[in-house]
Amino acid sequence: MRKLKSFLLVMVMGLVLVGCASNQSSSKGSEKGSVKAEGYPKKAINVIVAYEAGGGTDAGARIMLPYVEKALGVPVNIINKPGGGGWIGWSELANAKPDGYTIGYINTPNFMTGYLDPKFNRKENLESFTPIANHVTDPGAIAIRTDEDRFSNIEELVEYAKKHRLTATSTGVGSDDHYASLKLNDQLGTKFEAVQNKGSAESVTAVLGGHVDVLFANVGELTSLHKEGKIKIIGVMGEEKSPFLADVPTLAESGFEVFSWSARGLAAPKGIDPGQLKILQDAFEKGIKNKEQVEKMGKLGLEVNYLGGKDYVDLLKSDEAEVKKLGKLLGW
Amino acid sequence: MDSLGFLLSGFETALTWQNLVFCLVGVTVGMLVGVLPGLGPSAGTAVLIPLTFALEPISAIVMLSGIYYGAMYGGTITSVLINTPGEASSVITCLDGHPMAKQGRAGTALGISAIGSFIGGTFSILGLVLVGPPLANMALKFGPPEFFALMLLGMTMVIGLIGKSIIKGMMAAVFGLILALVGLDPVTGIPRFAFGQPYLMDGFDFVVIAMGLFGLSEILISAEQNLKAEKPPKVKGLLPSREEWMPSLKSIGRGTGLGFLIGLIPGTNSVIPPILSYSLEKKIAKDPSRFGKGAIEGVAGPETANNSFCGGALIPLFTLGIPSSPTIAILLGAFIMHGLTPGPTLFKENPDFVWGVIASMFIGNLILLIMNLPMAGLWAKVTMIPFKLLFPIILMVLIAGTYTINNSLWDVGAMLVFGLIGYIFKKVDIPIAPIVLTFVLGALMENSLMQSLTIFEGDFFALFKRPLSGTLLVLSIVILLLSLIAGFRKKKDFLASDIDM
Repeated sequence: MRKLKSFLLVMVMGLVLVGCASNQSSSKGSEKGSVKAEGYPKKAINVIVAYEAGGGTDAGARIMLPYVEKALGVPVNIINKPGGGGWIGWSELANAKPDGYTIGYINTPNFMTGYLDPKFNRKENLESFTPIANHVTDPGAIAIRTDEDRFSNIEELVEYAKKHRLTATSTGVGSDDHYASLKLNDQLGTKFEAVQNKGSAESVTAVLGGHVDVLFANVGELTSLHKEGKIKIIGVMGEEKSPFLADVPTLAESGFEVFSWSARGLAAPKGIDPGQLKILQDAFEKGIKNKEQVEKMGKLGLEVNYLGGKDYVDLLKSDEAEVKKLGKLLGW
Repeated sequence: MDSLGFLLSGFETALTWQNLVFCLVGVTVGMLVGVLPGLGPSAGTAVLIPLTFALEPISAIVMLSGIYYGAMYGGTITSVLINTPGEASSVITCLDGHPMAKQGRAGTALGISAIGSFIGGTFSILGLVLVGPPLANMALKFGPPEFFALMLLGMTMVIGLIGKSIIKGMMAAVFGLILALVGLDPVTGIPRFAFGQPYLMDGFDFVVIAMGLFGLSEILISAEQNLKAEKPPKVKGLLPSREEWMPSLKSIGRGTGLGFLIGLIPGTNSVIPPILSYSLEKKIAKDPSRFGKGAIEGVAGPETANNSFCGGALIPLFTLGIPSSPTIAILLGAFIMHGLTPGPTLFKENPDFVWGVIASMFIGNLILLIMNLPMAGLWAKVTMIPFKLLFPIILMVLIAGTYTINNSLWDVGAMLVFGLIGYIFKKVDIPIAPIVLTFVLGALMENSLMQSLTIFEGDFFALFKRPLSGTLLVLSIVILLLSLIAGFRKKKDFLASDIDM
């Protein structure tokens, strides 16, 4: 009896939850625009997330999309398509029907690595997508152990690294962490050697345990550890200071013009109807700029950075140019 | 004994009716996620996180962690009943759990795993309370070189899993290693054995391989036998026979220790402790030939180890704020989203919260035990379903389950191919267990070796110069040599200790 009851309880809970989700799909007046855009959207929109459920991109999407759902008036579903360094999902997005009902997240610079690296021989490129809006920009961060005695700030680290070989964490070939240390080597003549691993948690333990010298990761991954006093972030690689780390200078402020970040935003397949695109862009602008959403993302250490239309295209193009430049260092 | 006082007040928090309900919901969802092949605890937790925003932080975390450890209980069920792991960490339970089910002892297999899981789960949480923080700092000393040495030590265990013929066993082991090579090279990023397929860039998914090699091949083999003749076995009791209690409890004890220690090491996953526990049980058993034919120790040890791993793996999260496995990374996200930063300050600033969650885990484990023991008898009745009805159902579960892992039809195809490979291997007596072991350890081993070599600037012998990794490496070499010598000396005994899986 008890089993039956608990089972029923779960079923009821599930139904209630599903109910809550679909409650939000109240109708909303459609915008003017082309013929295709008339009455759009009529049904649920699928958002492809090219990473596993529970990863950073997925978590951010699950926080933000309910706000877009409200603005669009139809359910917005997340479809996780992990694998191939993101390109299982991205290829599917590029080849989806541009009917406005399939869109997806794209993550720089991993996205660019996938089509610029000739090893992969991929047909798709930036032109295969129509950018909608940027959601999050997570700047790179450089951190060291709190008991590190060879260097205590970014200037000392760079000086030391010019003379000595230092190991640096990286979450995979062609990841933004990898590019960050390559950029330092390229522009400042440091001697960082990337130790490749499978994710930022591994990066943190490797540095905490004293196995790797310098921690290269993103602000979102390190803020709480920094505040706990487990590690010390000595520099961020955004254009401006991170709002979460008021006491940490940017590399540019310390005199090193090196920038690195990972940006996540939304894109549709090439050829989407301009009227539909406009509706999507408006809805995402509302969702991304929503204060509550910004706050929730901030708790995760993620900086919401709305860029719409041309601004987002420019960001993608400049990220692409950066990766192209670094390609030489990777032997492309 | 400050902690015990805190723990008692934690029970006060956890025993409010509200938190009890969320604990119940969490472990029940966890059980279901565990039972459904393909749907793992990380996906289950991730999907539920946004729904917890409306809850009190403590209720939310109580529920989410319930999913995490509840799944370890559920995964066993399908392994035993239909030879298909419901959750990656239950793969090894197929080896002896399913034969037990065939002998009509499915209830016993599920019963002993519920008991083992409870003991392992409870003791590892006690460990978290009493010895967590100092151990977590020690575990940080475990860097890539030590990790490599540990994986190598694990590899030597493969000898225990090799079947009648050493050659065939080695073929299986090497096959597993080759499968582990598929995907991007960790250092250069060059695709290996990917044949231009994006689906192969990240290598094979462990669950896909396990479902094919174990689940599907089992159906193919059974379907080939005379279906009419084989009457489903009668279901016997839930509890082990009197002679089995002592060895089972000993295995449970060893599984608890092993799982807990491995849980402490960052970068491990829940698949490793059960596999090592199984190999260990077989190695020290008086009569290893029983393994693979329904030895209860082969179920009790591994099923305990994965639950004990769960508690151990929470220690780096609670004390250092570092997630040591994918599911825990999601839990970490949930903590942060609810405004809590895991780490030592959490214990100082929010003791009610931390100890409430820890206390709820004791309660959750108890609920799971209560749910599982009577349910074991119910589940065991699945084995009474006639094969002609059961097989199509299993096949459907396999296909749907494989699809849900990555929403990918490619994975379904891969699972079918591995099913055929498993069928052929069984036909020609190539054991399957070594494939799983070398596949899981191989990828981790390669990674840690390459990391070590980058750190040591290519000096391989530096691996021997660090005290911990050096000791582990020498130990592995000694075990290898001893096994070889033993093999040559009493060839008969050595070969008798084999299994057929």
